[in-house]
Amino acid sequence: MTPATSVATEGAAPRTFGVALDRFSYDDAIVRKFLFATFVWGVVGMVAGLLIALQLANPIFNLGLEWTSFGRLRPLHTNAVIFAFAGNAFFTGAYYSTQRLLKARMFSDALGNFHFWGWQAIIVSAALTLPFGFTQAKEYAELEWPIDIAIAVVWVAFAVNFFGTLVKRRERHIYVALWFYIASIVTVAILHIFNNLSVPADFLKSYSIYAGVQDAFMQWWYGHNAVAFFLTTPFLGLMYYFMPKAAEGPVFSYKLSILHFWSLVFMYIWAGPHHLHYTALPEWASTTGMLFSVMLWAPSWGGMINGLLTLRGAWHKVAQDPILKFFVVGVTAYGMSTFEGPMLSIKSVNALAHYTDWIIAHVHTGALGWNGFLTFGMVYWLLPRLFQAPVHSRKAMELHFWIASVGIVLYVVAIYSAGVTQGLMWRAFDETGRLAYPDFVETVLKLMPMYWMRVAGGTLYIAGMLLFGWNILMTWRARPARYDEPVVEAAPLAPRYTPPVVPVPAGAGLWARFAGAAWHRAWERAPLLFTVLTTVAVLVASLFEILPTFLIKSNVPTIASVKPYTPLELAGRDLYIAEGCFNCHSQMVRPFRYETERFGEYSKPGESVYDHPFLWGSRRIGPDLARVGGKYPDLWHVRHFQEPQAVVARSIMPTYRHFLTTPLDFDGIQARVDAMTMLGVPYGEAVRTAPAMARAQADAIGAAIVEQGGPAGLADKQVVAIIAYLQRLGRDIRLAAPATAAGPAARAGGAD
Amino acid sequence: MKLSDIMGHAGLSGYAEVALVLFLGVFVAVSVYTFLPGRGAQLDADARLPFDEPTPVGRPSPER
Repeated sequence: MTPATSVATEGAAPRTFGVALDRFSYDDAIVRKFLFATFVWGVVGMVAGLLIALQLANPIFNLGLEWTSFGRLRPLHTNAVIFAFAGNAFFTGAYYSTQRLLKARMFSDALGNFHFWGWQAIIVSAALTLPFGFTQAKEYAELEWPIDIAIAVVWVAFAVNFFGTLVKRRERHIYVALWFYIASIVTVAILHIFNNLSVPADFLKSYSIYAGVQDAFMQWWYGHNAVAFFLTTPFLGLMYYFMPKAAEGPVFSYKLSILHFWSLVFMYIWAGPHHLHYTALPEWASTTGMLFSVMLWAPSWGGMINGLLTLRGAWHKVAQDPILKFFVVGVTAYGMSTFEGPMLSIKSVNALAHYTDWIIAHVHTGALGWNGFLTFGMVYWLLPRLFQAPVHSRKAMELHFWIASVGIVLYVVAIYSAGVTQGLMWRAFDETGRLAYPDFVETVLKLMPMYWMRVAGGTLYIAGMLLFGWNILMTWRARPARYDEPVVEAAPLAPRYTPPVVPVPAGAGLWARFAGAAWHRAWERAPLLFTVLTTVAVLVASLFEILPTFLIKSNVPTIASVKPYTPLELAGRDLYIAEGCFNCHSQMVRPFRYETERFGEYSKPGESVYDHPFLWGSRRIGPDLARVGGKYPDLWHVRHFQEPQAVVARSIMPTYRHFLTTPLDFDGIQARVDAMTMLGVPYGEAVRTAPAMARAQADAIGAAIVEQGGPAGLADKQVVAIIAYLQRLGRDIRLAAPATAAGPAARAGGAD
Repeated sequence: MKLSDIMGHAGLSGYAEVALVLFLGVFVAVSVYTFLPGRGAQLDADARLPFDEPTPVGRPSPER
C-alpha cells in the first residue's frame, strides 16, 4: 500500500542496535493538492462573504435574482469558509504533520486521494444546491441528506487513513498535535451524524427527526461544537506542530498543552446551549451551557499563552519573519475570541448581544484572525518545503500580513459597533415608557456606515488573499521539473512494548500509586484506547446534557391549541426554508419587556413541537416573525414580496417577486405531509388529501387578495403558500386554551 | 406508556450536575498527574518530537 520497504529484505540492511530500519518516503503530493484547494475555496468563500456584506449595505446587490439573494448565499459563504477553506487547510497541515510525527507515510495514498476528491465534490455539490434553495435550515448543517451521507463516507475514509497511519507508526509517543486531530475526527463524525438525522421527503428535501426545542438543542450542540472541533481543535493541533517548527524551538510547555487538550475535550461539548439563552430552552440546560463556557476561558487562554511563549527567545525573529507574524496575530485572535466567547455566554451579556451583529464580529475575529492567519502562516512555511523552491516574494508576504490585519480591524470594529448599536436600540425606551425605536427598520438603517466599513475591511482581506494566491502560484512555477522525494529511514516499533517499570514500594498509599502509575503515558501510547476515551468523554457529556430534554416531558410542556401546519402552510414553510428567511428573521420572542412590546407574547417551548426543523433563527437583520400571523392583511405580504421598499421605506430586504409568478407544486405537498406523518406529526385526513386541502386554502387566500384590491390569478402561485404560513405564525397560542404542562412541577425555565 | 413518560417520572433532571462532578473529577486527576514533579524530563523529550525527523538517506536533513 505504501512504498515503505524493510531494508532487511534488501541485503545491505542498515541496523541500529540490531534493529532493521524501514525505508520510506512521505506523500507530499496529497498535501500540495489540499493546499491549492485551500486557496481556491478560500477565495470563493470570501468573495461570497463580500457579496452578502454588500447586500446588507445596499439591497441592489441581491441582483434581483432568486438565486443570489442574501438568504440563499449566506449559507454558501459560511459553508465555503468553514468546510472548504478551513477544512482543506486542516487537511493540508494534518497530512503533512501526521506523516512526520509518526515517521510513516500515510496509510493509503488511494484513500488520501479519495478523501481529497470526495471533499471537493461535496463542496461543489454545496455550491450547486444552496443557491437553488436546497437546505435543511440548520446553520452550518444546511446541506441536504444525500450530501450528508457523502460527507460521512468521505470523513470515514479520512479517519481510516489517519488511524491506519497511527497503527503503522514508527514513533511510540503520540505528540499532542495528533491528540487534537484525533478528537476532531471522532467528534465531528458524532456531531455530523446525530444532527443530520432526517426523514427524506424527496431527493433533495428532508425533515429533521427532531422538532422544536429538541431540534434547537441538537442543532446548537452541533453548531457550537462544529466551531470547537472543526475550527478550534484541528487548528490547535496545527499550532502545536507548525509554530514550534517556524520558531525553531519546542512548545513552551508540554504540560500545558496536555491540560489544554483534556480541558477542551471535557468542557467544550457542554457549551452549546449558550446559543439559546432566554429562548424556550429549559433554564437548567442554559445555565449548564453558560457555566462550561465560562470555564473554557481558562484552558483557551492557557493554550494561547502556550502558543505565544513558544516564541520566547525568538521575538527578534518575529520582527523579521512574516510567517511568525501571521502566527502571533492568529494565536492572539484565538485568545481574543476565546475571551469573548465566555463573556458572550454570560446571560446578561447575551441578552444584549444575541441576534445582533456582535456575534458576527465575534466569529470573524476567530475565522479571519485565528483560522485565516494560522492557515497563511502554515502555508507560507510549507511552500518552500512542498514546492522545493524559495517563496517567490517575501515582500508580498509582508504586504499580505499588513493589509489583512488592517482588514480584520476594519471589519470587527465596524461590526462590534453595529452589534452594540442594534442591541441598545432594540431595548431603548423613551421617557413615556414606549419603545424609542418602534420601527425595526430604523435600527437597521443606523448600521449602514458600519456595513460599508465592513465592506472595506473585507475587500482588504480579499486583496491579501489574492496576493497570497499570486505568491503560491509563482512559487509553484519555480518548482523543479521533478519533485525530489527523499527516502528516509526509521526503526519500526517493537511488536511488544515494555514500559519502564516505576517502582512503587509495597504498602504505598493511594497517592503514591496514582503518582507512580504510568496510566497517562499508557493512554498517550495507545491510539485506540486514547480515541475510545476521547469518544467516551464526548458522548457521555452529550448524553447527559441532551437526553433529559428529549426524554423528560416536563421540559417541554405541550399546548393544547397548538396544531400541525395545514398542507399549504407546510408548503409555505418549506419555501421560507428554501429562501433562507431564517438567516435574517428569528421566530423566538424572548421574555423581555422590550421584546414583548415590539413583537408580542414571548415564545413557549410547546409552540414549536411540530417544527421539523425548528426555525428560531440566530440573528435579526429583519424583525422577529414569531407573532407576525394576522399582523398585516394578505395583500400587504403580496406587495412586500413584490417590492419590499414600496411597503417599508429603505428596507434592505431583497425582492421575492418570483413568488408571484412561480406555480406552486400542489401535488408535491403529499410527499411532504407523508414525511411529517412518519415523524409523528398528527396529520389526520391530510395523509390522503393534502393537495386538495392545500388547493382549497389557496383559493381562499387568492380570493382574499382580490377582495383586498390585489391582483387575481395568485391562487396557484407560491405566494399563497408563504402567506398562509406567515399568517399562521403565532396564532395558535392566541386561541385561548392555557398551556397544559405535564405536571405541577413543569416549568420551562427561562421562557416560562 | 412512552419512554418519555418513564423517564419523566424517574427524576433524572439532576443528571447534568452529576456528570459535571464526574467530569471535573477526571479532569482534576489528569491535571494533577500532568504537573507531578518528575515528569519534566519525559515531557521535554515529547515536546521535541516535531524536531525528531528521520534523516533522508545519504544526506543531512534540511529540517535541522
